[in-house]
Amino acid sequence: MDLEVRSVSKRFGATIALDNVNLKIASGTIHSLIGENGAGKSTLGKILSGVYQLDSGEVELAGQAVTIGSPREALSRGITIIAQELSLVPSRSAADNVYLGIEDHAGPWVRRGVIKDRFEELTKTSGIIVPNDRPVSALSIGDQQKVEILRALARNAEVIVMDEPTARLSVEETAVLKDVMRSLRDQGKTIIFVSHFLGDVLDVSDAITIMRDGKIIRTSKPSEETHDSLVEAMTGRKAGEAFPAKTPPNSPAPVLEVNGLTRGMQFADISFTVGAGEIVALAGLVGSGRSEVARAIYGADPFDSGEVKLQGSVIKISHPATAIENGIAMIPESRKDQGLILDRSIRENISLPYLKKLSRLLMKRREENSMVAENFAAAGIRALSSEMTVRSLSGGNQQKALFARSLAGHPTLFIADEPTRGVDVGSKRAIYELLADLAQKGMAVLVISSELDEVVGLAHRVIVMQTGRIVTELVGDQISESAVVSAAFSMKQREGLAS
Amino acid sequence: MTGVDTASRSINVKSLLSKYAIVWVTLLVFIFLSASTDAFLSADNLRNILDQQSVVLIVAAFTTIVLISGGFDVSLGAIYILAPLVALRVQNNINSAWLTLLAGILVGLIAGLLNGVIVAYGRINSFIATLATSFIFFGIAYLVSDGTILRVTDITMREVVTTRILGLTSATWIAFAVVAIAWITLDRTRFGRYIFSVGGNFEAARLAGVRTNRVVVAAFVLAGAGAGLAGTLNSIRSVTAQASDDFSIIFAVIAAVVVGGTSIAGGSGAIWRSVVGVFFIAFIVNGFNLNGVDPVYQRIIQGAVILTAVGADAWSRRDKS
Repeated sequence: MDLEVRSVSKRFGATIALDNVNLKIASGTIHSLIGENGAGKSTLGKILSGVYQLDSGEVELAGQAVTIGSPREALSRGITIIAQELSLVPSRSAADNVYLGIEDHAGPWVRRGVIKDRFEELTKTSGIIVPNDRPVSALSIGDQQKVEILRALARNAEVIVMDEPTARLSVEETAVLKDVMRSLRDQGKTIIFVSHFLGDVLDVSDAITIMRDGKIIRTSKPSEETHDSLVEAMTGRKAGEAFPAKTPPNSPAPVLEVNGLTRGMQFADISFTVGAGEIVALAGLVGSGRSEVARAIYGADPFDSGEVKLQGSVIKISHPATAIENGIAMIPESRKDQGLILDRSIRENISLPYLKKLSRLLMKRREENSMVAENFAAAGIRALSSEMTVRSLSGGNQQKALFARSLAGHPTLFIADEPTRGVDVGSKRAIYELLADLAQKGMAVLVISSELDEVVGLAHRVIVMQTGRIVTELVGDQISESAVVSAAFSMKQREGLAS
Repeated sequence: MTGVDTASRSINVKSLLSKYAIVWVTLLVFIFLSASTDAFLSADNLRNILDQQSVVLIVAAFTTIVLISGGFDVSLGAIYILAPLVALRVQNNINSAWLTLLAGILVGLIAGLLNGVIVAYGRINSFIATLATSFIFFGIAYLVSDGTILRVTDITMREVVTTRILGLTSATWIAFAVVAIAWITLDRTRFGRYIFSVGGNFEAARLAGVRTNRVVVAAFVLAGAGAGLAGTLNSIRSVTAQASDDFSIIFAVIAAVVVGGTSIAGGSGAIWRSVVGVFFIAFIVNGFNLNGVDPVYQRIIQGAVILTAVGADAWSRRDKS
């Protein structure tokens, strides 16, 4: 069942996720979609599987134009997606999950025997083996993913979109998954493989489509590509224009000094410094431990060993309140889940960390108002008044509200975790300027970002993490998108760079 | 510009209607009863309603705070029973009305502390935790009273709840004072801000430096103290207390708070809402009584009214998101 995408466009608010995309995917192949975050690869996968609806253009299936209005409709046409976040019922067995909603039944009674037989038949024909004697929550992530694949097969899926399926898998599990993908292809299924992992992409694909900024750069065979050629095509654009000029300080005094920070499985032996006036970026893949390190420094999570020094002296931070008192501010990764009280006013969101200073028995509203007004302006929030609820603001202004909150504490160390996620282009630029400005005023700024251009465009130094460890540190001219990507993706490349 | 203005004005009218819906409905009930039922709009009847609702108001005020903080406390019914038993033991030894009340408050405070610590540091769902502690508190109530009826030995003690000041009973005035304190606490203090932030987004509040666990504990402590005070006032008024007394006040309280429009999901609500909710239900019950409606049907209708009020509220909120 060949799949063809014709002039498909998709916008999210002000962001153009897909810009007039044309693509052919041949039946019975593994077709990879690669690109940076925001390139549009996941969006395309989600449109094909009905998770998102296209704004314009059309999708043709076996030569017929079709509508894909919902995941259910996609499935009825034989297309399904295995999302990054698995959607299994954790307390049920593999077979229960595979046949959830399509159980064999006699009246109200589920025919367990028939389901078991069908499950065994399915595992035999597909060659995908998973234990069925325990709840899926007791299975490894890799096995859970197999359950999702079986579920797709049980629903007669012909085209399976896999969105970053290897992101959370170990090396061994990834190898197993790739075998499963190959065997599915050999059985005539089509697999659309959306991935960051270029090694896997080169290894397993029949065709690779490279995307950037919502457009397709090219589609080629893996034999025509190398790791470097893919990185080049993915990052292509010259970094810099969108960013304020870098003014790295000369031999900055270290504000933050982290020595041997370690916590369980999440990160180990993390040591680095951030100087006054310096912007340091923590780069690496999602799950490489970047956010976890930042949260540990901020006291949001505990750590096992190591020390955090602030302006030369070791500080013991067991709660974010202590961090704030010590002049550390952090803008968390998810502004909605970890940052803002959405139904309260901008004013209350800004002043929240400083209420001790702003109250005696009762709140000192006048002092609060002046603190809020000052930082509302400094962060460039665009809203009619600070009494509006944060929920009513755009993503960019919500993020600026968090900046305003952080600025109000006059921090010496400013941590921003994905500061521009889900933010429109205009606000992005404003946030970059804000960060550059903070550094210029002498703050130590630590930025965590999955956006490569951001890392390259902003940072004076880049620390790249991989699976919980620092793999490399890039300074000055060494900082480039391909250098960061190479370090984040592959061990071999890292050694090449270090020499 | 004009277009924007009119748009925002029509939204304002709409939001005035929906935001204060419970006020309008309660007013309607009040007007309807005043017109239809002779005995309703009399000083005696209204004074009685206020006096009867005084304990409900006290418990409701702090229950509102717990709900806004994202918690739920069903053990307040048990604290309402336990506290006066201890307090009357104290009264029987030290004949002081104020010490008796203080003892009741203290018992509630300790019980609330237990609830709060279990919920905040034990990470146990507050509904389940307080359901469990209810059993414990009831058990202790039987131990304290030996299963007997405890009495106020000095009948003059009733003055602490029955004295008329400006036409209203002292119990009513105490309730007003408690409501005012709760209101100011929630609206004007740092703690009030913390309550809204913790209930609105626990993790965000924590990352903003709010000592979230302490806030949760404090909310439960306040609620316990309120229930202890209310239970003790009630027992002094009725001169007796026993472990098998009616604890259904907690259901009336939760109904009133929720009807008033405080969300059980936490993060939003107001003391005035609960006050209005208390009177909404009190007026309806009073209207039934004055019109001689069979108590059996009263309850059924009351339940239906609460469901309607909460359902309407849920519907109006659904549009928002």
